[in-house]
Amino acid sequence: MRENEFFVVDLVSCKLTGEIINSLSLALETLKHTGKKIVLKLSNIYLNQSQLLSIQSLITSYGCTLDTVETSNTETAAIVNNMNIQVKQVDESSQTLSTFEPFDINSEHKTEPINQDTIALKDVNGLHFEADLDAIQKQQDNINISSDLREAGISRSQDFADIEKQFAPDFTKFTADIPKEDPVKFNIPSSVDIDEPSMRNSFEEITEEEFNKNSMGIYKKAYDEDKIQEEQWDEVDFYETPTTDPVIFDTKETTYINQTLRSGQILESEGNVVIIGDCHPGSEIKAVGDITVWGVLSGIAHAGCKGNINARIRALKMNAVQLRIANCYSRRPDGTNIPYIIRSSIFTPEEARAIDGEIMLFKINQN
Amino acid sequence: MAGSVIVITSGKGGVGKTTTSANIGTALGNLGNKVVLIDTDIGLRNLDLLLGLENRIVYTIVDVVEERCKLKQALVKDKKNPNLCLLAAAQTRDKSAVDADQLRDICEQLKEEFDYVLVDCPAGIEQGFQNAVAGANEAIVVTTPEMSAIRDADRIIGLLESKEGVEKYRLLINRVRPKLIKSNDMMSVEDVIDILSCDLIGVIPEDMNIITSTNKGEPVVNDEKSLAGAAYINVARRIMGEDVPLLDIDEPTTLIEKIKKFFAKKA
Repeated sequence: MRENEFFVVDLVSCKLTGEIINSLSLALETLKHTGKKIVLKLSNIYLNQSQLLSIQSLITSYGCTLDTVETSNTETAAIVNNMNIQVKQVDESSQTLSTFEPFDINSEHKTEPINQDTIALKDVNGLHFEADLDAIQKQQDNINISSDLREAGISRSQDFADIEKQFAPDFTKFTADIPKEDPVKFNIPSSVDIDEPSMRNSFEEITEEEFNKNSMGIYKKAYDEDKIQEEQWDEVDFYETPTTDPVIFDTKETTYINQTLRSGQILESEGNVVIIGDCHPGSEIKAVGDITVWGVLSGIAHAGCKGNINARIRALKMNAVQLRIANCYSRRPDGTNIPYIIRSSIFTPEEARAIDGEIMLFKINQN
Repeated sequence: MAGSVIVITSGKGGVGKTTTSANIGTALGNLGNKVVLIDTDIGLRNLDLLLGLENRIVYTIVDVVEERCKLKQALVKDKKNPNLCLLAAAQTRDKSAVDADQLRDICEQLKEEFDYVLVDCPAGIEQGFQNAVAGANEAIVVTTPEMSAIRDADRIIGLLESKEGVEKYRLLINRVRPKLIKSNDMMSVEDVIDILSCDLIGVIPEDMNIITSTNKGEPVVNDEKSLAGAAYINVARRIMGEDVPLLDIDEPTTLIEKIKKFFAKKA
């Protein structure tokens, strides 16, 4: 029974011996049962043998035993070793990680004993923890702190993953947030990349087979089926004649809108358009360049309205009443506007391109 | 022979002008007439939705007025019936985009080609109403058996009487619930006619199918089982000059009688 009960007392934030004694006694007082094994985490503070002995006797007076001391100070580690106490010597920089979640001695849940069951469970989760450490390492490599961190980190994770996870429940959450602040980690290709002429050429080289496989084609289908309307389309001439001259859009300004476009609202741009939000039915977007909607596109979108046939329309979910690219025109097939599906959380990012005078839809991840 | 221009109006909103326009238009088309529906509710268009033609609109009435396209280009043909066309309103503009003279011109042009030109009027008595009524030579006033709708209909009839072009106006009573009339909780058709002292063109019972048909974009007259659909077809036949007896008005009553008989048998 005694072997199963570990306690980690994190004193990394303590810089003075008095502080250590004070914090430790406070932590020990909160324990309700005796016979626990104490894992002591220290900073790189130097402690001589008498100080360590007094700490040990303090722990023994509360009916517990000092099992392991974790320190980054080599001299302290050597003295602890002489006292027949297990020692974990950790790298200084990795030890600073634990300051992310300093041990709060007043917090109830942090002094809860870890029983066998939870340890077994944590072993399974240990993998995730290691992965997180890797992420931290990468992040720390970026700021050139340590090169030996990988070794230290993994050894730590193997031995203390269970315990640390228990005592720092928000640790993974915290590390998960780090990459977001680090733009180097996420290399999202910007829309400008896709608009480069070289990329465009690669699109044009798609074979017919691939093309048929990749295209969603629902807009095209509707166009084909529509016999009654055909005579009418002949009379519909669009505003400008199409050109295939390459237009480099990254030189054009991009209108960036962070709101929902509602019915009756019309957005016109001389460059590209990026909308973070939905475009409701009845709204209209006209852009000389590309249109990107980070949301549901349900209105009318007209990309390349000055005649650029290479313009694209992208949306997280394509429910557009009409899609227009330069002089090409397509409309949503009848009966596909089910307002209820718009609300669903399943997104199928799609891109519309004009190919041979018809508008085809492509799943973006199939590029 | 030139066709007739019929404006469908009510004054009050939400009484079923647009539903009536879509259904009468479809019914007239199905009966073999050439029909065009004009949505004059610029900025708040809905007629396209009821007909299921939302995705086909390229040019609108504002494009026609501002001469960005020909009138013929802006007419959207119905999915099923090639005799039925829609001239849609613009969603991105407002009522001031069109004026009464321009709409009168459009009506004059369409009259030459179509048997019936149905104008769906917006709610209110402002610019939108004035535009819609401008070219009309006939009117259908839609009302429901409620005091507020009747008062607004009375006001509208007064305005229509003062208009030169409108030769004839008739009343259509919508959303009638025979059950409530029977229990004296709703004004009866006779009461409404008495208050407004106006010719009747039809009575449409309240019908659940209207809601589903609106969502589907399929007018209820295409649904053979629907009572409201049958009533709208009768209204269309009356517009064509047929003498359809007051079956519509009696219909709800007979229904109640049927139910009564049904229960009487049981008892």
